[in-house]
Amino acid sequence: MESSVHHEPEYAAHDANTRSTMACAANGTHGEDRGGYETTASRQSDGRLSLLVGVAGYSEAGGELSDTGRRYDRRTFLARGAGSAAALAVAGVGGPTMLSASTQPGIGIGGPRRGGTINVGMNSEIDGFLPSASHFDNTGITYASTVFDSLTVRAANGEARPYLAQSVTSNPDYTTWTITLRPNVTFHDSSPLTADVVVANFQAIRSSALTGQAVKPISGVKAVGDLQVVFTCNEPLVAFPQYLATQLGYVVALSQLESSNSTHPIGTGPFRYVSWVPNDHFTVEANPNYWRRGVPYLDGITFRPIIDDDSRQSSLLAGTIDLMVSHDPNAIATLRRNSSFQLVDDLNQSTGQPDMDFICLNVTAPPLNDLTVRQALAHATNAKEIVKLFGAGVTPVTSSLYPPGSPYRPAHNGYPTYDLAKAKRLVAQAAPRHGGAIKLTLGDIPDPRQLEIIQALQSMWMQAGFHVSLTDVQQVTYIDNLVTGNFQAYADEQFSAADPDLNYVWLSETTASGPIALNFARNKDPKLEAALQHGRTHADPAVRAEAYQTVDKLLAKDLPYLWLSRAPWSMSASNKVQNFAGPTLPSGGRAEGFRAGTFTTSQIWLKG
Amino acid sequence: MARYISMRLIQLVVIIFLISVLAFLLVHLLPGDPTIAILGPNDTPSARAELLRQLGLNRALPLQYWTWISHVIRGNLGSSFLTKQPVTNAIAVAFPIDLELIVVSQLMAFVIAIPLALIASRRPNRLFDRLATTSTFGMLSLPTFVIAVLLVLVFAVKIHAFPATGFTRISQGFGSNLRSVLLPSIALAVGSVAVYYRLLRADLISTLQEDFVTMARAKGLSTPYILLRHALRPSSFSLLAGAGISIGSLFTGAFVVEVLFQLPGIGYQLVTAINSRDYLMVQGMALVAAIAYVIINFIIDFLLTVLDPRVRHA
Repeated sequence: MESSVHHEPEYAAHDANTRSTMACAANGTHGEDRGGYETTASRQSDGRLSLLVGVAGYSEAGGELSDTGRRYDRRTFLARGAGSAAALAVAGVGGPTMLSASTQPGIGIGGPRRGGTINVGMNSEIDGFLPSASHFDNTGITYASTVFDSLTVRAANGEARPYLAQSVTSNPDYTTWTITLRPNVTFHDSSPLTADVVVANFQAIRSSALTGQAVKPISGVKAVGDLQVVFTCNEPLVAFPQYLATQLGYVVALSQLESSNSTHPIGTGPFRYVSWVPNDHFTVEANPNYWRRGVPYLDGITFRPIIDDDSRQSSLLAGTIDLMVSHDPNAIATLRRNSSFQLVDDLNQSTGQPDMDFICLNVTAPPLNDLTVRQALAHATNAKEIVKLFGAGVTPVTSSLYPPGSPYRPAHNGYPTYDLAKAKRLVAQAAPRHGGAIKLTLGDIPDPRQLEIIQALQSMWMQAGFHVSLTDVQQVTYIDNLVTGNFQAYADEQFSAADPDLNYVWLSETTASGPIALNFARNKDPKLEAALQHGRTHADPAVRAEAYQTVDKLLAKDLPYLWLSRAPWSMSASNKVQNFAGPTLPSGGRAEGFRAGTFTTSQIWLKG
Repeated sequence: MARYISMRLIQLVVIIFLISVLAFLLVHLLPGDPTIAILGPNDTPSARAELLRQLGLNRALPLQYWTWISHVIRGNLGSSFLTKQPVTNAIAVAFPIDLELIVVSQLMAFVIAIPLALIASRRPNRLFDRLATTSTFGMLSLPTFVIAVLLVLVFAVKIHAFPATGFTRISQGFGSNLRSVLLPSIALAVGSVAVYYRLLRADLISTLQEDFVTMARAKGLSTPYILLRHALRPSSFSLLAGAGISIGSLFTGAFVVEVLFQLPGIGYQLVTAINSRDYLMVQGMALVAAIAYVIINFIIDFLLTVLDPRVRHA
């Protein structure tokens, strides 16, 4: 256990109903780490010392986002004891299911210990460290949050909270957002974090072919003073703070931005770049001047991209690496039974949306432009059987874009159930319109497990009367074909997002046409677009829930996607690695520990 | 001898030129569009056209080749489209890995295969020969990835004697370096042992029936002496030729082992670059691998001429 002085601000309660505010009011504070959760003591106006225990009870009502940390005075806190405080600290919706600090894998046991290094096995390699130019998959986001900081981060309940920003405030109709930055934050090259740097970063994001489309609703940005930036949107953008917790919200130093150097990251993050050899390793060392006092706990980390799932798992079992990320359900099934390792997975995560495995149908390509054909395919697809065969006994079947427990998942979305007889009838009904036989090609990348899955689907669909051929294409060609519409049916995996609006570009009819379309299925449905817009522009949770439930029902009706299963992610670590899924927010309260293969490294420590 | 070597060197230059042309053309035959890999799905036709212009991919092929080869001659292989890393840096990382894997695995293979063949050829079709022949046949039948997985399971996961993945540079400690290459080298050596043993055994058996060996025996020379001093040299031509092909192909053929042990050697980097349409990386890696292949075979040819004068007079 370690105590350290914090000078962290706490979130203030918020103002009028018409404003969305996430504010941090700086006050002299004193914090103490207790077994992986963070408490912050603050001097109140009456001079009493109180502790803000880390439950960010994040409520949203009537257009107001508020952060209501629970307060306990010191006596109450001590009387309740560290155990109950820990339980409070880890309470919260979603994220890796957390029972208590002492029993939950990935949440630190005992006090943080400083020092040591770890080796981490990642499932992929990145192509650079420039948020405006590099493709950040789960490895990219993990690396980025190691050397950079984002303007906001997500709390355990999935909601965005200020991070490099001290506050993020909107006007009443969510068309103007004002970010106030934390003072006295410096980059690894000692340059200061200022409003001008944030503006330059955003301009790079906006002018980039890679990231520009995602920020299309934002029409203007300007610095107001040294630490304030104002963003102007074309339309209400309720989820703006969520966008700042993604690739779009990382802030890099001007020196890196101006040189367009994507190989040597310079950020404000908890670790500093040491070396990056693509396909071999990425090594970082602790940033001694990190603005969050007391962290990081580790002296350094070496990340190693180990692409082969089995090799990565063997490396963990052999002690070659200490922590690994996996997208293989077999890793969950295997390591669940091994008491020498801790396992955290996202199978019970209900905040936002997880990655989904599905078949993407190009609804403009014959015969899939025929709704009856798509309905027949849906009825011919036995997702339960696919999961039974390839899900290692852990992967849940899905028939919705949203997971169980999500407010956006309707009780019944009307998605077609497996019914071979009905599929056969629909095939017979549609076949005359397509020359007597319905022929289609199902494709995927040449991954052995994926190829087995599409072979099983081929067999199911052929039983219903389809003529199905298979194709496997390299990743780059696969993406090329998806965006240009040069496919009929592709096995796909997508849609992990903390907020449903983050999936707008993939589902909207505004991105469904042209030579390059991000709505890969090219599904155009005015009602769907209206529902997406409704969700995007309204802050009321009930209104948003209704909007996205409508989205789910319309997807079940239009059938651009044949749902198969959730695509589980997991993290596993040797028992010496502590708190790899239990980060806290600067104000206290649990931050999101693990989402779709991404995690934060600043609060990991090694058991003594 | 000098004339022979000069001729071979001229051939070498011509072959390397042809390789460079093929390496250059190869990437243009790959399906897919490099701009997709660079810009991602969010690109636009104008961004794509601008990128093609920046990369010089909109110019005529001969002009593209001339630009590329003139830079290559100056030691500039360009930079990866994706990682922006100079291709020469990637080669500097990959080449020592392959070199060490090849040296260690081939040393292992020779150290095991040559004595085995010498002993087995003394009494063909006897117990030892049959055991060795059957064992090496089994080795040939086992795919490299199976051997690699078994080695990792036993020596890394169970015994914890070796790391399961990764490469430690020799500058970080010789012991650690050797530990990191031992398992992948064994995986690569197994197949080579089998090939080398069978080649050498067959030639030795044939040589041991030659008149000069009968003469040596008649003179009362010991069998080990005859094998080492009289039979081994004339029996090693097939072995050397086989070794040349095997060693050269390992520069890219070790891909499976490199993936399983996460060693970013040339094969691994080449396949990764092909999958991502990283044109300059593909060209650079393919060029280096092909040049290494022809140089190794040139050295082998040279050794053959030293061992057998008939070759240079042919």
